[in-house]
Amino acid sequence: MVVFALIIINKAGGLIYQRDFAEGLNKLSINDYLVLAGTFHGVHAITTRLNPLHQHNLPPSTSDVRPDPPSGIEVLETENFRLQCFSTLTGTKFLLFTEPQQPNVDKIVGRIYELYSDYVMKNPFYQLEMPVRCESFDRKLVQYVRPLNSR
Amino acid sequence: MSYYFAIIGTKDNPLFEYEFGTAKQGGDGIARFAEQARHMNQFIVHSSLDIVEEVQWGNGQMYLKCIDRFYNNYVSCFMTGGNVKFLLLHSPSQPATTNTSRASTSIGANPTSPQTEEAIKQFFTEVYENWVKTIMNPFYNVNAEVRSPVFRSRVAAAGKKYL
Amino acid sequence: MASSQPVKPPLATQASQAQRGSQPGLRYPSNGKTIYHRPLNRSRTQELSQSSFAYLFGEMVSYAQKRVTGIQDLEKRLNVQGHPIGLKLLDLLLYREPPRTQTRPLHIIALLQFITTILWRHLFSRPADALEKSSNPDTPEEYMISDNEPLVNQYISVPKEMNQLNCAAFVAGIVEGVCDGAGFPARVTAHSVGKGEEGELWPGKTVFLVKFEPEVVEREAYLGRS
Repeated sequence: MVVFALIIINKAGGLIYQRDFAEGLNKLSINDYLVLAGTFHGVHAITTRLNPLHQHNLPPSTSDVRPDPPSGIEVLETENFRLQCFSTLTGTKFLLFTEPQQPNVDKIVGRIYELYSDYVMKNPFYQLEMPVRCESFDRKLVQYVRPLNSR
Repeated sequence: MSYYFAIIGTKDNPLFEYEFGTAKQGGDGIARFAEQARHMNQFIVHSSLDIVEEVQWGNGQMYLKCIDRFYNNYVSCFMTGGNVKFLLLHSPSQPATTNTSRASTSIGANPTSPQTEEAIKQFFTEVYENWVKTIMNPFYNVNAEVRSPVFRSRVAAAGKKYL
Repeated sequence: MASSQPVKPPLATQASQAQRGSQPGLRYPSNGKTIYHRPLNRSRTQELSQSSFAYLFGEMVSYAQKRVTGIQDLEKRLNVQGHPIGLKLLDLLLYREPPRTQTRPLHIIALLQFITTILWRHLFSRPADALEKSSNPDTPEEYMISDNEPLVNQYISVPKEMNQLNCAAFVAGIVEGVCDGAGFPARVTAHSVGKGEEGELWPGKTVFLVKFEPEVVEREAYLGRS
C-alpha cells in the first residue's frame, strides 16, 4: 500500500502545496504542477454542474434542510493509481494520489485535513490562499504518512 | 481602638486608604483619631515602609505581624507576592480620652497580644482574597489606585468582622 | 431616566439608580455580581481548549507584527503582552497555595522552582523540562529553564527569513512578570535550540534565559551570609 503524493489547491485553483511521499509518479516541473492544479480545478468545477437528472425531476424535499451541493469529482481510478479528491467547505481541495488498492483513503485525507487545519490554519505566519510553507505541517505530514507506506 | 488601613504599591505609592474603628464590644465602627494627630497616620505608615523592606527578606511569610510602633500607634504589615504592602495602623484608645467606646476587649486593650495578631491576620487574609480579585481584573494595572466601591465595602466588612 | 417624568419608575430602577448615583461611571452587571462575588478557586481545575488558545495566540502574534521594526521589536512586544499576566498569576497562584507553603519566594532558587513547577503546571499542565544555572562563571546571574515543546508554539512554524524569532517570547514575558513582581527584576528571553535536523526528537525545544539584575545577585549573597 502506497500513498504517492499530496496536492492542495486553493479555492481559486492555485497550487498551494505539493509533496511526494514515495517513488512511482513522474516528476513534473513546478510549472506543470501549477497547470495540473488549474486543470483539475476547472474539471472539478464542470463536474459539479453535471447532473444526470433534471432539477425538476428530483424528489421534492420535504424538510427545510438544504441538500448538499454537488461534490464534483471525488475519485478517479486508473490501473496505476487512484486519485481521491476531498473538497472542504471553503473550497480548498486536497488531492491524494495512492495505489489503487489503498484502503481507507477517505480516513487518510480526513486526517491530513485535520493536520492542515491545525498546523497551517493556526499558524499566524500563514497567509490565506498562499503557498503553504510550514515546517511543522511538513513534519507532521511525513510523520503520519511514512508509517502507512512502510506497512 | 481606631484603625487606619493603607495599601502601598511597589513604588511606595498609596493605592488605597481606609479609616475605621472597632465594631467589637459595642464599638460603633468609627475611627477616633485625635483631630490634631490624624494627619500623622500617613506619615507613621510611610515611615514604617523602611522597616518593611528590612523584614520582608528575613521571612517568607506574607503576614509580617506588628513591625513598628510610634508612641501609641502600632503598625502591622502583610506583604503580597507582588510586593504590595497592606499596612494597618492600630491605636488603642487612650484611657485618658473621653472616648465613648470603652476599649476593654482583648483586641483593643493589647495591640501586640496573640489574639490581636490573629484577628489582624484574618482581616489581612480576607483583604488579600479581595486584592487578588482586584488584580485579576484585566483592566487593573500594577500600581494603579483602587477605586472600586465594592472593594472598599469588602474591606469595611472585613474590618467589622475581625477587628 | 429623566426626573421630570410623571410616571413613577418601578422600584428596581430606583434602587439601581441609587446604587449608581454614588459612583457615576461605574456600572454593575444586571445580576449585581461583580468580580468580587466570584470565588477565586472556582476555575482552579478547569482547562481551556487548546484550539481556541491557538487561534487567540495566532491573532496576538499577528497583532504584535503590525508596524513592527524587526524581530527583536516583535519579541519585545510579545514579551510585553505576557508581562502583566505574570504579575497577576504570581499572586493568584500564591493565594491558591495551601497556607503552610504560602510563602513569598525569598531566594532565586525558590522563585525559579515556583516558576518551573507551580506556574508551569498552571499554564501548561506539566512542569518545565529542566532548570539549570549557567555554567559560565562570568554570568552567575543567568539561569535557564528548558521546555521541550512549548505549548504556545505547537502550531506555529516560523518562516525561514525570521528564524531568529521564537513566539515563546510571550511565555518569557510571563516569567519576567513573575520575577519582577516577586522583587527579582530580570530580563527573560526565549531561544530556540532545535538544530532543524531531520528526525530530531524535540525540534521546538526552547530555552528561557533568565538574567537577573545585579542587585538581585548582590542581595542573594547578602541574605545567604546572614
